[in-house]
Amino acid sequence: MITRFWAEIATALATLAFGLVIVNGALEFGIGWDSSGPQPGAFPFYIGGLVALASLGTLVVTATGRFAGSADLPELFLDRDRGLRVLSFLLPLLAFVVLSATLGMYVATILYLVFTMRIQGRYGWLGTLATALGTAAFFYLALEKFFQISLHKGPLEPLLGL
Amino acid sequence: MDNLANLMHGFSVALTTHHLLLMMAGVLLGVLVGVLPGLGAPNGVSLLLPLTFSMDPVSAIILLTSLYWGALFGGSTTSILFNIPGEPSSVATTFDGHPMAKQGRATEALSFAFLSAGFGALAGVILITLLSGWVAKFALRFSSPEYFAVYFMTFASFIGLGGASPLKTIVSMGIGFTLASIGMDSVSGNVRLTYEFDVLLAGVSFLIAVIGLFGIGELLLTMEEGLKFEGVAAKVRIRDVVLTAAKLPRYWLALLRSSLIGIWMGITPGGPTAASFMSYAMAKRSSRNPAKFGKGEPEGVIAPETADHAAGSAAMLPMLALGIPGSATAAVMMGGLMIWGLNPGPTLFTDRPDFVWGLIASMYLGNVVAVVVVLATVPLFASILRIPFSIIGPVIVVICFIGAYTAAGKGFDIWLALIFGLVGYVFKKLDYPIAPLVLAMVIGDKAEDAFRQSMIFSQGSLSIFWSNPLVTTLMAIGLTLLLMPLIGRAALSLRGRATARSD
Repeated sequence: MITRFWAEIATALATLAFGLVIVNGALEFGIGWDSSGPQPGAFPFYIGGLVALASLGTLVVTATGRFAGSADLPELFLDRDRGLRVLSFLLPLLAFVVLSATLGMYVATILYLVFTMRIQGRYGWLGTLATALGTAAFFYLALEKFFQISLHKGPLEPLLGL
Repeated sequence: MDNLANLMHGFSVALTTHHLLLMMAGVLLGVLVGVLPGLGAPNGVSLLLPLTFSMDPVSAIILLTSLYWGALFGGSTTSILFNIPGEPSSVATTFDGHPMAKQGRATEALSFAFLSAGFGALAGVILITLLSGWVAKFALRFSSPEYFAVYFMTFASFIGLGGASPLKTIVSMGIGFTLASIGMDSVSGNVRLTYEFDVLLAGVSFLIAVIGLFGIGELLLTMEEGLKFEGVAAKVRIRDVVLTAAKLPRYWLALLRSSLIGIWMGITPGGPTAASFMSYAMAKRSSRNPAKFGKGEPEGVIAPETADHAAGSAAMLPMLALGIPGSATAAVMMGGLMIWGLNPGPTLFTDRPDFVWGLIASMYLGNVVAVVVVLATVPLFASILRIPFSIIGPVIVVICFIGAYTAAGKGFDIWLALIFGLVGYVFKKLDYPIAPLVLAMVIGDKAEDAFRQSMIFSQGSLSIFWSNPLVTTLMAIGLTLLLMPLIGRAALSLRGRATARSD
């Protein structure tokens, strides 16, 4: 599986890329000096550069640490069991986000809680439905009625007249 | 004496039925947030913040600070009863708190924790009462270069004293600053760094970052650990609380020392977590029988708890007086202040004295309310943890994403929270510090403005940061803090060479 060494390298490469994207974006607005002082790109340019440099530094430290035989680098970042546990949590969570964006947050909440409790947690239908519907109803009453904040809704709510 | 009169005025603002009810609600929500894994104080404040947009700022800040106190107390409850720190800052409480609970002294451990925490918090608030006016008056002399120097000092101390790899701290901080600069630039009116994505026009909200990094990231980590709650049942009886309270004065030295450590770490951005560990280590080192630590020594509960809460409340001082938050939670609250249209910093004391002193008075009241409420509700919250994580976890996920949506009512923020969650998970696993990222996001714009204005004053010369004694001192402190790891290493190697020669 993934060792800490590769996780460190991948993360540092990602932050390096982020830094460079910022530097590139900042160049568009000018990084020099004009009549009104420093141009708008200057501050992000230097900060982005700093992020990129520090990421390079982490890459170097990690690489030299590997040759010097640092103790924690060969350790597993994520083994099979842990990876599966994370995935079993992350995948339904992803589905929840996708459903929230398409079907609206209330419907997504109900479907997500039903899935995690009934399929993953193996609870009875009664408890599952009570929890899922109860949670959605609680948020509906608290947000829409009490605080007057409306959540993202999909095509199903109007059918119920909500 | 000015301060005292102001404080009395503050009490008259804070001491209304409405505000007392808000305190109770805040503390209860806070304990809940502190008890549940994946929901910590910064996160709880972020989730609640959108609901306060329509409230009066005084009521809103009382609600949020009470939530903070509650969260600190809730974190200690789970540490002691379940050996699971609900908050990072209560990790040190598990060392002796849980052994005490297992020996059947749960009530004693809890009472010690809450009472000493209350003591620490009061010490922090008294300091704020005495010093804030003075610090604010001093800070009125600051102009842009001094402000930039203070921001520089804040981040230098993260890099130098944070304990994480300095390179990783810089990366995390820099990401925060750049995220803050996305969207409309307040000085030039340009729209920066959006890469033509319309959803980025309004910028990236720090609330979403906190919810993702602290909430979703923490949940993923909790899931990976696959943790199980095996708690010690506790029922708090008034008699035991009183008996424990009577024992407390015996530990006056630990209380005093821990308060000082906490206050110091709260004002400098060391934060409550570092404070509690440092205080525990100091208590152990100076104890007559250090062997008892880790096996249920009351001082091992008192020391970290006092420091934790002292740091938590003292972190409000730099936020109010200078506009620099001392912890991640204070950063979120400061962001809230700005959203409510207040300008944290020295001018707040002259512009909105009712707000400042109402808040300070509410800290006294809030902590007293918190101690009472938390002692009364321990069994209730302990029973919440007996609900399996496979139910609680998904419900917390729903709360986090709904919170992310309510921050601005934008669908894109849900995706952003997801991304921040994944980043938070990886960052935590690889020891990237997250607090600097949040702090940088909140004060990023102010730091940039201070830098640009200084540059305009000086026509682009960096020498303005050495142009008068005040700014020079601030910059020098900042540079010393920044170079601290290097100085320490050099000193070590010098000493190593010296001993090698003498051998």
